[in-house]
Amino acid sequence: METIGQSVPKKESPDKVSGAAMYTADRIEARMLHARYVISPYAHARIAGVDAAEASRMPGVRAIVTGQDSDVLTGEELRDRPVIARDRVRYQGEIVAVVVADTEAQAKGAADAVRVRYEPLPVVHSPAAALRPDAPILHERLGEYVRGAGVIPIPGTNVASVIRIAKGDMEQGWAESEIVVDNRVTFGPSDHAAMETRSAICEIRPDGHIVIESSTQVPFAVKKYIASYFGIDSGFIIVKTPFVGGAYGGKTAIHLEPIAYLASRAVGGRKVKLVNTREEDMVTSPGRIGLDAVVRLGSTRDGRIQAAQILYHFDGGAYNDKSSDVARAAAADCSGPYAIRNLHCECLTVYTNHTFPAAFRGYGHSELTMAMERAIDKLADTLGMDPWDVRMINSIKPGDIAPTRDRLTRSNLGDIQTCLRRLKELSDWESSFSRVDDYKVRATGISCFWKNSSIDSDAGSGAILLFNPDGSVNLETGVVEIGTGTKTVLAQMVAERFGMSVDRVHVKFAVNTLDTPEHWKTVASRGTFMAGRAALKAADDAIRQLKDIAAAVLKVVPEDLAIGGEKVFLRDDPSLSIPVKDICYGYKYPNGHAIGGQIIGRGVYIQRRIEPLNPLTGEGTPGPEWGVGAQAVEIELDLRDCSYRLLRSISVIDAGRVLNLKGALGQVMGASAMGLSYASREAFYYNADGQVLDPTLRDYTLMRYGENPAYTVEFIENPCLEAPFGARALGEHGLIGMPAALASAVSRAAGVRLNVLPLFPETVWRARNGGEGTS
Amino acid sequence: MIGFDFDYYRPSSIEEAVSVYQRLEGQGRHPVYLSGSTEFITFARVGLMCSGAVIDLKGIPECRMLAAGEREMTFGAALTLSELDDSKAFPLLGDTGAGIADRTSRNKITLGGNVCSRLIYKEAVLPLLLTDSDVVVAGSSGIRRVPISRLFDREMRLGRGEFLVQFIVGSSYRSLPYASVKKRKASAIDYPVVTVTALAAPQGVRYAFSGLCAFPFRSEAVERALNERGLPPEERIRLAAGMLPEPILSDVKASADYRELVWRLTLTDVMEALES
Repeated sequence: METIGQSVPKKESPDKVSGAAMYTADRIEARMLHARYVISPYAHARIAGVDAAEASRMPGVRAIVTGQDSDVLTGEELRDRPVIARDRVRYQGEIVAVVVADTEAQAKGAADAVRVRYEPLPVVHSPAAALRPDAPILHERLGEYVRGAGVIPIPGTNVASVIRIAKGDMEQGWAESEIVVDNRVTFGPSDHAAMETRSAICEIRPDGHIVIESSTQVPFAVKKYIASYFGIDSGFIIVKTPFVGGAYGGKTAIHLEPIAYLASRAVGGRKVKLVNTREEDMVTSPGRIGLDAVVRLGSTRDGRIQAAQILYHFDGGAYNDKSSDVARAAAADCSGPYAIRNLHCECLTVYTNHTFPAAFRGYGHSELTMAMERAIDKLADTLGMDPWDVRMINSIKPGDIAPTRDRLTRSNLGDIQTCLRRLKELSDWESSFSRVDDYKVRATGISCFWKNSSIDSDAGSGAILLFNPDGSVNLETGVVEIGTGTKTVLAQMVAERFGMSVDRVHVKFAVNTLDTPEHWKTVASRGTFMAGRAALKAADDAIRQLKDIAAAVLKVVPEDLAIGGEKVFLRDDPSLSIPVKDICYGYKYPNGHAIGGQIIGRGVYIQRRIEPLNPLTGEGTPGPEWGVGAQAVEIELDLRDCSYRLLRSISVIDAGRVLNLKGALGQVMGASAMGLSYASREAFYYNADGQVLDPTLRDYTLMRYGENPAYTVEFIENPCLEAPFGARALGEHGLIGMPAALASAVSRAAGVRLNVLPLFPETVWRARNGGEGTS
Repeated sequence: MIGFDFDYYRPSSIEEAVSVYQRLEGQGRHPVYLSGSTEFITFARVGLMCSGAVIDLKGIPECRMLAAGEREMTFGAALTLSELDDSKAFPLLGDTGAGIADRTSRNKITLGGNVCSRLIYKEAVLPLLLTDSDVVVAGSSGIRRVPISRLFDREMRLGRGEFLVQFIVGSSYRSLPYASVKKRKASAIDYPVVTVTALAAPQGVRYAFSGLCAFPFRSEAVERALNERGLPPEERIRLAAGMLPEPILSDVKASADYRELVWRLTLTDVMEALES
């Protein structure tokens, strides 16, 4: 019974399409209190005073929490962010006070009545502005912050973290280069725009247990960090996560949970619910990181890249959260899937008065890819070479060395050459530019990508298998179901191992850190890899136990037994068998004697031989494998107003092994749509005071169904030997090359080199008329 | 969620609506009329609108009337944009309304509500301007029928306590060639960079615009320039550009110079289509 590779429908779909699926904010309880925030209208200001006297007298108001109630600083890489702003706000939307009341309306009414006096401070609008010698310093106490390994701030500046990657000999690289090109790309922050806005509920029980329900990708990290921030034993913290309505990295930040904890603490531990409005979700909670990057490439005349000098200035926003780690991930893979012997990268994460960023699908990789691929296009133009040829000539192969000095193998590296060749066919590359009529032009742009999923070196996952009296299996893992269908794929793996129907493998969707085995974080496209390894190990553990009981019953040795079709049978005579349902709760002999006992399968996985990067050289092993792919976007542009239509999006990706075909196609198409949307139309606009002009879905536009291009997605299968069934990561990858491929297509069509995002028609038109947007 | 309490009234006649308004006004409740409520809900929840009482006009039969007679077509102000489009009663109005927001919103947004919107676009008014429609207005002094040109100047100039009941459009306009083109910044659903509507009347082509300035308008001077058939279209557009009621808008949707370009291109296409 082959289950792996089949398009098994997601097990949660009936709940979701019928509206029965419950999310954190759906919880309604009579005794629950409600919180609303007071947020800063200023991007940078001193808080001169918070007057909550009138608000605290309003009906139903139970407590008003301000920054004075906690001096705890939070942050995973650098503890720089107060739970609630103290003395100073550093971005518009930052929470200054939280009102807790009997009803949400009362909380909102009282929040509106809290008077905050601000003294505006000069605003830092961009990484470039932040790095000027006279820039206002956003964190004077940067040097005192508690920080993680690998985070190197420069106190007295706005630089939260510096990372360098150095490989080879730059002097030699330049000496061997006959052509040198420089290319700069710039783009600002945007939003995740998940359908479910972020929310958290907290209760402190009389016995001391702190119970948090949260729309998070990282319930186990919430437990760990709440414990560390507030000095509580982690055993007293229980985090529950039901379905999450889209996350895309935005729900990795531990942001609302500490606020919910303070709010509950302020009302004697009663349950308090926080739910972001859409506007708050856009400006108060974190979004996507911005980047200003310069890539200098040196090449021979026949297109062989000899040297690359890369400079990243990431817009790290007001607080660090994961921005320096996103930057680190970008730096680690800064070359893209190209073999560049001599490489230097300087990567700064810089504080600005923008909303702090979280992870965003791709984790720095669509950003680094935009920077590198635009430079490669420029190199191809300068050399007069076909951009596909330049990519193929320089593409990375087993035996080459990654920027992190990892030696690449057939297993840890996907096959980019095969992806590129197939992309060339699918995209009709030979006719990738054509005139339609007097005004309309069609053009295709391409991009390669690679991505290693860099996670903590001791990140792990666990799985438990239980049986039902009918012989079916229950699978529990700590993966949060964020819409990717991971739990269905894990069920497929278990079904495959047992040789049983996937319909008979039941999964538990909700995560409860009290009794769910830990999955480090549901991030980095690592659910199928880590939880998959754990689930397979749990299956093997259960099978071993089943065989032990069956061996006794059948009077054979366990080694001679096999499992399949919910039976344990003698390998060379399947007619000698016993149903799993007769032994999964132990076996009872006709005389009433019993042996065995219930079967509990247990499996764990921990990452192997991952090494943190040396921040000075970049040496290390960021993750287990580099997924690769090649993508193309075809557009039709009207040269008069530079409006364009997306015609085709093509992705060829090394899946290692496709585990669930339609699931995989959906992941790649969805990710591609997200990449095209942010590259073509998603951006925050800021006024001169650093305030966001479009913090609503009225003005912040997203791509809708009818605007999508036709998607072509193909997979090649070059297995990763360490991964379950050889499957490589896939959840983020469809996004990574889209911005660069779109920029390439629009540049070719418009006849001007475009290096900014998003590519609004007006942006293109302005570039054609010599304005910004060009290089 | 809306952070203030308000009372909701749903009168079933014009007279009842007027009297409820007067009573609430007398009590200092600052009542507002609404029909689709989309703007009230979205603005009230972010503190941009506040009222102690709202009066929903959807229960008034006259406001829901949709009739296409031989001489006149009647469009109740509380008809939704989806109803107007689906009815095919007057395609110029239906098409223009169908460019506003998305289908789900248009199932709520009403003709009168869009025309009286606090946003600057109010695109549903453009066909009404092109067709010299009449407006039926109700208020404390009764019901009056007024040419739209007397009532609409950048926005509906209604008296205190008045509300829109209907628009009445000559049936002959139904068969005239028209164009309704909305150009957006990037997405298929957005406010306009510019919306150009035009109607080929026997005396010449009529034009009305939204998005170009901070209000929708139809201008005699602009129309005269665009109808100077002796001149090439680009020259006529250049003349018209000099007669706009206000400098071209510049905002996050488009800068003034790009907006002008889009307007010129769209207008060129529309002129070509309607003059051939």
